[in-house]
Amino acid sequence: MGQRGVFLIKTAELKVWVRRIFVVILFIASFFFILLSKVDSVVIEAANKAVLDVTGPVMQIVEYPSRIIHRIYTYIYDISHIYIENCELRAENKQMMMLQNKVRALEVENQLLGRLLNYVPPAEASFISAKIIAESGDNFTHILLVYIGDEAVKKGQIVLGDESVIGRIDEVSGHYARVILVTDINSKIPVVVERTRARAILSGDNTMLPQLIFLRSSADVQEGDIVVTSGVGGMFPAGLPIGFVNSVQNGEITVETLADISRIEYVRIVDYGLSNNDADLTSEFDEGK
Amino acid sequence: MHDGWGEKLHLFTLNGVPLLSTLILMFISFVPINSMQFNYFRPAIGLICVYYWILKRGNVFGYASAFIVGFLTDAYSSSSLGINILLMLLTASVTYWLAHYFRNSSFGAIWFIFGLVALGEVLVKWLLLMIYVGRFLPLWEGFFGYVSTVMFYPLIVLINLKIQNKFLPQEYIDE
Repeated sequence: MGQRGVFLIKTAELKVWVRRIFVVILFIASFFFILLSKVDSVVIEAANKAVLDVTGPVMQIVEYPSRIIHRIYTYIYDISHIYIENCELRAENKQMMMLQNKVRALEVENQLLGRLLNYVPPAEASFISAKIIAESGDNFTHILLVYIGDEAVKKGQIVLGDESVIGRIDEVSGHYARVILVTDINSKIPVVVERTRARAILSGDNTMLPQLIFLRSSADVQEGDIVVTSGVGGMFPAGLPIGFVNSVQNGEITVETLADISRIEYVRIVDYGLSNNDADLTSEFDEGK
Repeated sequence: MHDGWGEKLHLFTLNGVPLLSTLILMFISFVPINSMQFNYFRPAIGLICVYYWILKRGNVFGYASAFIVGFLTDAYSSSSLGINILLMLLTASVTYWLAHYFRNSSFGAIWFIFGLVALGEVLVKWLLLMIYVGRFLPLWEGFFGYVSTVMFYPLIVLINLKIQNKFLPQEYIDE
């Protein structure tokens, strides 16, 4: 065997070793990412942002045809149900007109009482509308990817769908933002049961019905009770509706969201001017109790 | 046909076809379906593609591609960055090992083995996520996804086979 043959064999062996080392580095990198994610590293945030920045425009193009198909289906569905819906809307309109008069009277009364007490109202919330362009990448998580354009959106801002809370901003990257839904395993929101003012944490468990946890055993909770944000932790303002109690069984209380998350195409990202966006909700809730 | 740099560029482009097609299929699977229930049935397209391409064209779709597929899956989920990367790398390792024995087996046998690989992937993911979030997660969430992944396997294989025959025929690989 000549020198050239030996050289070729050595080069091939070296290539195999380089490949093996490369594979080991990839495995180590994956472990490293998991550990960094646990401590909420800026490196991980930057990596996630980079991926969303690069893939967001592709995702927008890919989802466009499906959006058109869905609109056609919705249009046909709406046409076929238009008569029944019209009857329902007429009845609802009558009720709303009566309520509107009551609300106007209450508003005037509220302003008068506010003046008497020198009450300073909270700042008006501002919001933007954002289009949903992608859903979860795996079965164990409930997230949405939304297009926010050039709007300034911050991590932790509240996300509404149909006037009720559906989640919060988890990651903002250029023109895109990732929303963690209230049903996701990583979602924990301090809430109160509106009727009894019983405090709890609404904890997502990856099912369609998140659970109420850290609720006092003596708390009075019934099916149908409305659950609203408590404002504890300073992340969400108090009193925003989320859902209603779906079932109370063996100490396990499940909540159904008011918004039909399945049918939402656009969401509203609201800025209440609250700064404590990354608060540790669970610990603050415990302290608050 | 191509000389020097031109030929290298041509080969580089062809080698990138499996990864590119995988990413496109994954993006399609992320499209909003307006049904939260569908989330449980969303097939793991990335897993199918990693398994298929390593089994059929392991020389052009390797660990680096599996890493990218895992990275993208993680970016479109709320779980820790790295979990899906690790799972894809493990899948790639297992598939390389399986390729020695089953590369030329019948479609039915390869599909059956994929069912076992996907089951392992779901169980490992379930365990890793439970460790990560520190609480028990119902396994059925992953089970529905597993069933749909196995059911979608023939369709994704058919698409990948068309791509393979068009861009990466056997003759090209043997050159």
